[in-house]
Amino acid sequence: MRQIAIYGKGGIGKSTTSQNTVAALAEMGKHVMIVGCDPKADATRLILNAKAQATVMDLARESGTVEDLELDDVLMTGFKGIKCAESGGPEPGVGCAGRGVITAINFLEENGAYTPDLDFVFYDVLGDVVCGGFAMPIRENKAQEIYIVTSGEMMAMYAANNIARGILKYATSGSVRLAGLICNSRMVEKEIELIEVLAKRLSTQLIHYIPRDNVVQRAELKKQTVIQYYPDAHQANEYRDLAKKIVENKNFVVPTPITVDELEDLLMEYGFMEIDESVEQAKVAV
Amino acid sequence: MNNQDKCPMPTEEWINTEEYKEKNFARKNLVVNPAKGCQPFGAIFAACGFEGTMPFVHGSQGCVAYFRNNFSRHFREPFSTTSTSMTEDAAVFGGQANLIEGLKNTYTLYKPKMIALSTSCIAEVIGDDLNAFINNARNKQAIPDELPTPFASTPSFVGSHITGYDNMLKGILSYLTKDKKTDKKTDKINIIPGFDTHVGNLREIKRILNLFGVEYTILADNTEYLDSPLTGEFDMYPGGTPLEETRESINNKATIALQRYSTKKTITFIEKFFEHEAVALPMPIGIGATDKLVMEISRITGKEIPKEIEDDRGRAVDSMTDAHQYLHGKRYAVYGDPDIVIGVVSFLLEMGGEPVHILCSNGTKKFAKEVEVILESSPYGKEGKVYPGKDLWHLRSLLMTDPVDMLIGTSYGKFAARDADIPLVRIGYPIVDRINLHRYPTIGYQGIINLITWIANAFLEKTDRLSDDEHFELMR
Amino acid sequence: MEITKENTQKMIDEVLEAYPEKARKKRARHLIPNDPDAGSTCGLRSNIKCIPGVMTSRGCAYAGSKGVVWGPVRDVINISHGPVGCGQYSWGNRRNLTSGKIGVNNFGMFHFTSDFQEKDIVYGGDKNLEQLLRETRELFPDAKGLIIESECPIGLIGDDIEAVARKMAEELEIFVVPVRCEGFRGVSQSLGHHIANDSVRDYVLGKRELKEKTPYDVAIIGDYNIAGDLWASKKLFEEMGLRVIATWTGDASIEDMALTNHAKVILIHCYRSMNYIARHMEDKYGLPWVEYNFFGPTKIKNSIREVASFFDDSIKEKGEAVIAKYDPLMQKVIEKYRPGLEGKKVMIFVGGLRPRHVVGAYEDLGMEVIGTGYEFAHSDDYERTFPELKEGVIIFDDATQYELDEFVKKLKPDLVGSGIKEKYVYQKMGIPFRQLHSWDYSGPYHGYDGFSIFARDMDMAINSPTWGFVKAPWKK
Repeated sequence: MRQIAIYGKGGIGKSTTSQNTVAALAEMGKHVMIVGCDPKADATRLILNAKAQATVMDLARESGTVEDLELDDVLMTGFKGIKCAESGGPEPGVGCAGRGVITAINFLEENGAYTPDLDFVFYDVLGDVVCGGFAMPIRENKAQEIYIVTSGEMMAMYAANNIARGILKYATSGSVRLAGLICNSRMVEKEIELIEVLAKRLSTQLIHYIPRDNVVQRAELKKQTVIQYYPDAHQANEYRDLAKKIVENKNFVVPTPITVDELEDLLMEYGFMEIDESVEQAKVAV
Repeated sequence: MNNQDKCPMPTEEWINTEEYKEKNFARKNLVVNPAKGCQPFGAIFAACGFEGTMPFVHGSQGCVAYFRNNFSRHFREPFSTTSTSMTEDAAVFGGQANLIEGLKNTYTLYKPKMIALSTSCIAEVIGDDLNAFINNARNKQAIPDELPTPFASTPSFVGSHITGYDNMLKGILSYLTKDKKTDKKTDKINIIPGFDTHVGNLREIKRILNLFGVEYTILADNTEYLDSPLTGEFDMYPGGTPLEETRESINNKATIALQRYSTKKTITFIEKFFEHEAVALPMPIGIGATDKLVMEISRITGKEIPKEIEDDRGRAVDSMTDAHQYLHGKRYAVYGDPDIVIGVVSFLLEMGGEPVHILCSNGTKKFAKEVEVILESSPYGKEGKVYPGKDLWHLRSLLMTDPVDMLIGTSYGKFAARDADIPLVRIGYPIVDRINLHRYPTIGYQGIINLITWIANAFLEKTDRLSDDEHFELMR
Repeated sequence: MEITKENTQKMIDEVLEAYPEKARKKRARHLIPNDPDAGSTCGLRSNIKCIPGVMTSRGCAYAGSKGVVWGPVRDVINISHGPVGCGQYSWGNRRNLTSGKIGVNNFGMFHFTSDFQEKDIVYGGDKNLEQLLRETRELFPDAKGLIIESECPIGLIGDDIEAVARKMAEELEIFVVPVRCEGFRGVSQSLGHHIANDSVRDYVLGKRELKEKTPYDVAIIGDYNIAGDLWASKKLFEEMGLRVIATWTGDASIEDMALTNHAKVILIHCYRSMNYIARHMEDKYGLPWVEYNFFGPTKIKNSIREVASFFDDSIKEKGEAVIAKYDPLMQKVIEKYRPGLEGKKVMIFVGGLRPRHVVGAYEDLGMEVIGTGYEFAHSDDYERTFPELKEGVIIFDDATQYELDEFVKKLKPDLVGSGIKEKYVYQKMGIPFRQLHSWDYSGPYHGYDGFSIFARDMDMAINSPTWGFVKAPWKK
């Protein structure tokens, strides 16, 4: 069983990318489970073709304690047998979302969700490793490979570098490794080159460049992945390629994050005269 | 808002009424006088039964001060535990620095053979990763490579002290038995006592196993730690199951747990990793559960039940029949940890006693269902009703509106028992207002005799105390 | 060993050798031989963070706020807000006696909690807290205040209990006081005292008027009525002709606390835990405050005269009359017990005031204090301590279990006075022990009534025939 955590800046298309990739893996006959680790709980809806699934924390809140929950209540099966769970959590500004992640993963472990037949477990984790709770998926004996979804925009790259810093802390004491950057294109100029250089600086690889295609949004409106909604689309093949590369990936490294100055130099080097504009755009996206 | 606005009844009387009971049971957020502790408390209890082991809590020091106080009040014994003394800065930046320094100091100063780590809520809320921190402590040579450092995550906002006991025990066993499995199983059996604070119980189990001539490993044996002889010298780590013996426990023939609710995760772990028969029995309180234990030991070891044990049983039955008239038909309220409650309810039914209010602050719905099945199996269980997750202020309402003759539980019950003017027989944790009770077994055939002694004599004391001159007799 | 500064320093250095270097350097600043004329703290460090892993005796801010300051108030409901443990372990463990009907208008003996579950941590607990306060008000209509004491997770998840308290005080028309005493704040229970003092200052003090005033109105501050200490003290002040309008917080009513600013003089027993509010009343209302010591006839006599000096001659005369009435009785107590205690050596390690305040009482019995220390004192406590003791006597701040054990082994006192965590360690060594937090389930020890009990208890501890059996007769 390979356990994989997907991190990346909020709004970068993390959940869409991971669900499409997981759907492609399932299509290849792999047994996969997705564990959504974000209070927004949107990591499984394209697989389940549903609005949003009942989360571990929502159900725990209803029944009073986690102890009275059953695995069947929280683990749903979707497209091609993909198992789905969402940690859930509070609205922004109250409570402790990080703890919700810990609770959910502990519950799944203790109640036998990690069955030996699973080939992959994917954790789709909120933006950044803001506290210990959001590092739960990369603790020892959990996810050992991490992919960071990014784009050529400065804020996304800044977040990617920050996440690499978080991974470094865990990589030195455990076996978690950075397995690659996934570029979810924002049509930024020289995007591939830029991310390739960043990947190199972080001692990792750009594992795949996903071009922008409106078919993704159309499928999402139908609460489906591209793989399911329009399997013959060119974009579906992009996700299949990514899935294949993940299956074959052996490039696992302890990341070497860079300083903010170095990152800015890098952007200058690639002739970004409109850096400021890109920052503004990123802020809007957040 | 205030009841006086609606009715003129003084509060003192109002709280005894049916109307108050309904309001009391309708509350959803307030908890008053719960009978349960938190996870790390149970965790350090599990740890103290292993040879030379220092329980070590990652979190605030205040928790540990409370745990040590609490155990020392019940056992009237020393109880050592260290903490990482996390303060505000550690809460913000994470507790790794405290943990590394703490391990080094504990190891250097108190020279334990094992440090068993658990967590208090501060470390759990901020999401500290014990495993990673311990590895880093070793990398920094704060502790030697060979020092065992099992750990368990024990958030105090999940479950209760019995959950923490279970988590820590599982943590210790999985740590120590790793890579120790061989192809050959021994004839020894493992015994897991559960969260049991009557030190006499473990001594009684050992006596039974010795009579069988069975070799055994207790996981873990805290009888010396919690009841050590006074010799003029203080030993920080008296007794305890040797670590080597614990490592080998994976190669023993079978495991028997003497409680079920406090050993769930540990038993599941053993079944999976020890690859031997692991049975969790109902706590052997009363004759049925004790018979079952004795027969299971015999079945698993292939040894015949010895004559001495049959004689013990005969004496227990003798005391049951001698005393049945004092217990039969009496109505009881029982509360405590789930395993103890099930034991006491079963025992009362065996005596013709009628358990009426059965309450368990740390009991789940599943637990309630199990007790209901036991009640249905006996004509004396007809009136019994189970209240999982309720507290002792709920219990008070029950005692005042639907009176019983006796309350059986811990020292916490003394307030409700006093208001209801009924005797309280003390079993379980904590007992902090009577001497030596925890030294007497409540389990096995000997336990039956002790329970009858306490229950029957409490009724008889009351009879004598309340008798007027006409009815004050010599014999009872 | 003869007690001299040099010998004591040598002993300290030897004991410190066991520590890792970093910890040794830090601890060295907390241990010194006494210099009675020092006038300053002689470099003794106090009120700083504990070293992780060394087994401190200290508790946390919650213990200081809930356990010490707010816990003894009889007519408020203390809600331990957070997971179940903190309230459970502090339930009924400080022996603050309170008057009134338990569960009706006297709540000191109960445990109220929000019993946080995982869902409360994740979603936050403010909404449920509101509902909890409504439920509490309805079920306990005679309570005069609801005190919310927050536990570690509350501060970590950022709940806004102040907003809840403001809203609910208005809705429920009762004192609702938020106390931010999360266990990770500060370095010991001491900050908890301060936080609780501030919460009284901000939410209670000055909110009620005293109807009839007299020139003899005083408030007793810093007596928590352990085993009735306050009652034994209050009685003497009343015999002197003073009127006690409020007590903080032994057997206190929050209504009386709210009008304390109308007193003429503040009498303060435990300086450590309540100097904050005394200083505040001095600044804001110009109220003088005076420290007194009601342990043992010598100190009581001095204290009565000191307190009387704030009043007119009638009080001074009555004060002398009180001394004249009780002194002969106390001489009888001393005559009875002194022969069995003369020259006996005592070591003390406790909390707020006792490490210095009880010295005189022991001296009245002919005993000598050869070592003393505080769990959580500040430098002003030590300045008050040095003159009470002989030169060279060891003074320890926040002593670890290891240090205390070693000092006891080296100094061989006849009696150790400390807490429950320490008690059984020294009794295992064969050394008589009295708990000086809880008076070991005896007391009161304050006032003249208290001294006769104190003397009896110390005699009982030291001269119990049971100590004679520690060594088996066949062992040489």
